[in-house]
Amino acid sequence: MSTTRRAAVVGVYTTEQGKRLGRTKVSLELEAIKGALADAGLAHTDVDGLSPLLAEPWSKTHMYWAEQLGERPITYIGTGQGEGAVAKAAAAISAGTCNVALAWVANAGGGNAPGSKAVPTAAPRLPDFHWEIQGAYMTPLYALWAQRYMHEFGASSEDLAQVAVIHRDHAVLNPDSVMGRKGPVTIEDVVNSRMVADPLHLLDCSIENDGGYALVLAAEDIAKDCRKTPVWVLGGAEATATDVYQTFNNPWFPEEGKSVRRCTDMAFDIAGVSRSEIDVANLYDCFTITMLRNLEEMGFCKIGEGAEYVREGHTRLGGSMPCNTDGGLLSNSHNGNPSGMNVIEVVRQLRGECGERQVADARIGLALGQGGSVHGLASTVVLAHD
Amino acid sequence: MTAPYLKPLPQISEENRPFWDGLSAREFRGPRCRSCGQFGWVPYPACRNCFSTDIEWVPLSGRGVIYSYSIVHRGPAAFAGDVPYVVVMVELDEQPQPMIVLGQLDDCPLDQVRVGLPVSVTFHDIPGEDVTLYRFSPSAPVGSTGGG
Ligand SMILES: [Zn+2]
Repeated sequence: MSTTRRAAVVGVYTTEQGKRLGRTKVSLELEAIKGALADAGLAHTDVDGLSPLLAEPWSKTHMYWAEQLGERPITYIGTGQGEGAVAKAAAAISAGTCNVALAWVANAGGGNAPGSKAVPTAAPRLPDFHWEIQGAYMTPLYALWAQRYMHEFGASSEDLAQVAVIHRDHAVLNPDSVMGRKGPVTIEDVVNSRMVADPLHLLDCSIENDGGYALVLAAEDIAKDCRKTPVWVLGGAEATATDVYQTFNNPWFPEEGKSVRRCTDMAFDIAGVSRSEIDVANLYDCFTITMLRNLEEMGFCKIGEGAEYVREGHTRLGGSMPCNTDGGLLSNSHNGNPSGMNVIEVVRQLRGECGERQVADARIGLALGQGGSVHGLASTVVLAHD
Repeated sequence: MTAPYLKPLPQISEENRPFWDGLSAREFRGPRCRSCGQFGWVPYPACRNCFSTDIEWVPLSGRGVIYSYSIVHRGPAAFAGDVPYVVVMVELDEQPQPMIVLGQLDDCPLDQVRVGLPVSVTFHDIPGEDVTLYRFSPSAPVGSTGGG
């Protein structure tokens, strides 16, 4: 086949996001899937591609949901972070292997925070060099990364804190965010909040909550008849380079970058878009340090200059490239695999649905999902409306 | 009779047994590729440089310098009673390929923990378990300046 048909995000939905919703995971998944299909104006029987964003091995999750959706052949079996899942589903649609694809996830009670696991009654045995043997967990690992970054580039706690301040300001304008109702925070609030793992304070860390979401993608011919303006997938890519939580590399901040750099360069190449054309972006901000490193690694500023770039106001609403307008993982929601929330916010911005936090005339948007300190795992997608 | 150890311990397999046996013999061993000579930490079943599976465990100095650190104030489950404790990444002396080892640091005042501090491996038999763990301590005694 020589004609490449385009693919668009045609439906998005987020359930209520909150600390403990008292809901089951599957009820959140069903609400999200039904909601995203309704947003698109499509039926569950239209779906022929599945990308659960947290999947069990050996496609068990896909088989379960194929059954649930009517025991029909599902011809695209995907997974990944939200951005990678959208990019791959779009590629499958363009290749003709499916027409309508779902990507979704929900969290009900799980988490990474240290309080989320009880003390065992016997010493658990973990795969040989697991970091938990050393008393580390996600926050200390990112703290180690932040500490080395501050050592090499002279960044301060205040440099990191400004990210939390901006993202909270955005969350305040997002009535659906978990933290917006708590009001804005100052740099002093962040650096005076309880230390979790030095140098990361409580407000340098993303929140952890329940909630679900779903996205629906469709081929061009279907997208044109959907309820909302199609948001086209211009290009996207994913990359994994190192098992960074196990294997630490020196230098930890190589000029050439690793996963985030690679998939971002590829996404821009495929999309045929330059960095200066991005009107709005939602980047994976699991910790304040992550946002600074994302901006550097994605090529919006040089390595070591992330804090200066943020200080110049580019990422604020009203700046040259407003970022994390929903409040991000820091202040909107972190629900198991929140990467797809970044795609959803960009879709809503491009549709003009964002109310007080709307970026005027947003036409081209960017979303980034990542894990493993920008080296381990990443995916980027560039989206646009006509 | 001491309280049972409730923190996570390693699953010992045929692949990693030489390392844990080494700790119990008071030796910190690392995997080196016989084909290209490269060290690799953490151990992988094949060399990450040349993909050879001809790998030997060799005794290492157990000495290095702190590459990064975090003073942890909120610990998971079984570590909650230890706070504040210090998690370190130690770049071992063996070069040219850097090996950075994650561990905990003892015997160092919190205000003296810094990148570049020389440290050495210490060995800790776990009571009631068939495992010896490693930790790190400063290579030379470090006193608190106490603001003096
Ligand atoms: Zn080799």
